[in-house]
Amino acid sequence: MAELTPLSGGLGASPGKLIAVDRGKTVTIADLRQRVLCWLEIMRDRQGTRWAVYHSDAFEFLAILLALWQLKRTACVPGDNCRGTTDRLKKHVDGFIGEFPTTALQANEKSVQVSSSGQWVTPDTNYAALEIYTSGSTGEPKPIQKSIAQLEHEVRALEALWPSQAGTVVLATVTHQHLYGMTFRLFWPFSSGQLFERALCEYAEDILQQAKLYLSFSLVSSPSHLGRLNEALSWEPLSGRCSYLISSAAPLKRADSQKACSLFAAPVREIYGSSETGAIAWRSQQESDQDALWQALPSVFLKPNEDGTLCVRSPYMGELERFSLPDRVAFDENGRFKLLGRVDRIAKVEGKRVSLAALEQRISENDLVENVRALTLQRQRVETGVVIQLTAEGWLELKRSGRKILVKRLKENLAAHFEAVVLPRRWRFVEQFPYNQQGKLPLGDLQKMFEKEAVSWPEVIDERVVDDQVKVRCVVPGNLIYFDGHFEGNPILPGIVQVHWAEYFGRHLLPVKGTFVRLEVIKFQQVVPPNTTMEITLQYDESRQKLIFKYESEKGVHSSGRICFG
Amino acid sequence: MSNLKTELKQMIIEILDLEDIEVDEIVDSEPLFVEGLGLDSIDALEIGLALNKNYGIKLKSDSEETRQHFASINALAALVESHRAE
Repeated sequence: MAELTPLSGGLGASPGKLIAVDRGKTVTIADLRQRVLCWLEIMRDRQGTRWAVYHSDAFEFLAILLALWQLKRTACVPGDNCRGTTDRLKKHVDGFIGEFPTTALQANEKSVQVSSSGQWVTPDTNYAALEIYTSGSTGEPKPIQKSIAQLEHEVRALEALWPSQAGTVVLATVTHQHLYGMTFRLFWPFSSGQLFERALCEYAEDILQQAKLYLSFSLVSSPSHLGRLNEALSWEPLSGRCSYLISSAAPLKRADSQKACSLFAAPVREIYGSSETGAIAWRSQQESDQDALWQALPSVFLKPNEDGTLCVRSPYMGELERFSLPDRVAFDENGRFKLLGRVDRIAKVEGKRVSLAALEQRISENDLVENVRALTLQRQRVETGVVIQLTAEGWLELKRSGRKILVKRLKENLAAHFEAVVLPRRWRFVEQFPYNQQGKLPLGDLQKMFEKEAVSWPEVIDERVVDDQVKVRCVVPGNLIYFDGHFEGNPILPGIVQVHWAEYFGRHLLPVKGTFVRLEVIKFQQVVPPNTTMEITLQYDESRQKLIFKYESEKGVHSSGRICFG
Repeated sequence: MSNLKTELKQMIIEILDLEDIEVDEIVDSEPLFVEGLGLDSIDALEIGLALNKNYGIKLKSDSEETRQHFASINALAALVESHRAE
């Protein structure tokens, strides 16, 4: 186990000690002290104890925090720096530092004379050094305060379970503006002698490029990234360099965990926690053939509450003796547990926590909106959708400007208050909410409004008339409902559907009249798999009321026959 | 080039499961992220994946450069074209 340097004593280490990397270049304690002094210089003369901090560079961010802590001030750290967040913070802080769309303190680039290390005070470890924010169920962001002692405690628990190797580089795809990133990207590496990379890796290609620079690295990431790794990239150069991957913010699918494990040739450690509690449990899914259970981190005690939610006790929750997380859990006899979903209206969209109540509240501030319900939808990704009952004025506006303009207007109002990822991607306008007889609004009924229309027709490429024949070129869509269960694992287009389509096109493109009587000389010669491009040839014998059809593709004739009408 | 742009628009609508938007409504020069089409960081990851799968493009490890390539349909098309020319 690496010997831990407490966060409070970090600046006192020997000046040559490496603490970070900047795309291959090393950064030392001396560099950090330099920046802390620059920040201190501009902070000292300013009044006020509470300062909002946002900086995209992890190294500068750490320097700002350490400078504030030298002065026993509180770093108020929002998850994003969008306009709405900034405006809301104004009431709660004395000023802004770093990157904000408002006046904010900036440090000089010039170097400050660094005298002996004696100029550093050891910060008080028990005051509220850090304030972070999380979505409360009422919609208003909830502040959570942490002392340095709490942060140090959490790092000790992590180090006890997974001892660090000094010198390993910590890469990340998650921001340090959230507690998860702050702890795993900055505080833990800084305390344990690992080196954090200043810049974020935004794409898998970034990770590959950066990781190649280091003999040993680890990656702090989330299901959003680990679930979207591209196997086609060349991962071999990383072989033997990655010590472990960390994933948090939401549970990682087992298949994604195993894929990430094989691409990086390293274990994937999943972390479960919250802003209120910090990291509290972990799991690893590489060796299991079913979803692995979670277990408590060292020094953390977990048990179910009577209502099925999770009760947490840990030495790093400050004055809180216990805390209940609104996640329903099921424990096994060994004290490991499964997560069964949340009990409140906070949703996780791609790992980002969002209060559905807050979304609804913001949307309903608009005069065009009478009533609104927000919900999460599991489609190709998890996203939010809203069902809106418009006011009379809203309906007028919908008629006047159209759906797109209306959605755009409503969305613009939200963009200032929420991160883009959680903004609703699907909007439904209804005359009336589908209340049931008990006066409730069942979630399932709302979800149904967002289901894709069932695909039951071919995609027509073109229709041509050749002599007395009609030729319809089309593709048989892979998501056609008729492939469902016909047959499991080996989908083919049912013959009766081919007859049905032939009749449909016959009635639309040829003078077919009368009702269906019978089929004649029907032949199904070859099966039609999904995504086949077909040509349907139709000919109508008007005097005998017979529609002759033939399905062909580049493989030859698939089916043919006659439909008799009368 | 205009075929390529249509192809890219189709690709974006399909992989991102976008609602209420047709190929001919995406303006070549309009921003794809934030304003304009309003895409987000997860969408950027999906587009990166699709560019690699469909066109063999590997993004450079320079976020600023990637951001410029992803700025609009015009920029994306230029990226694919220059990759083909290589």
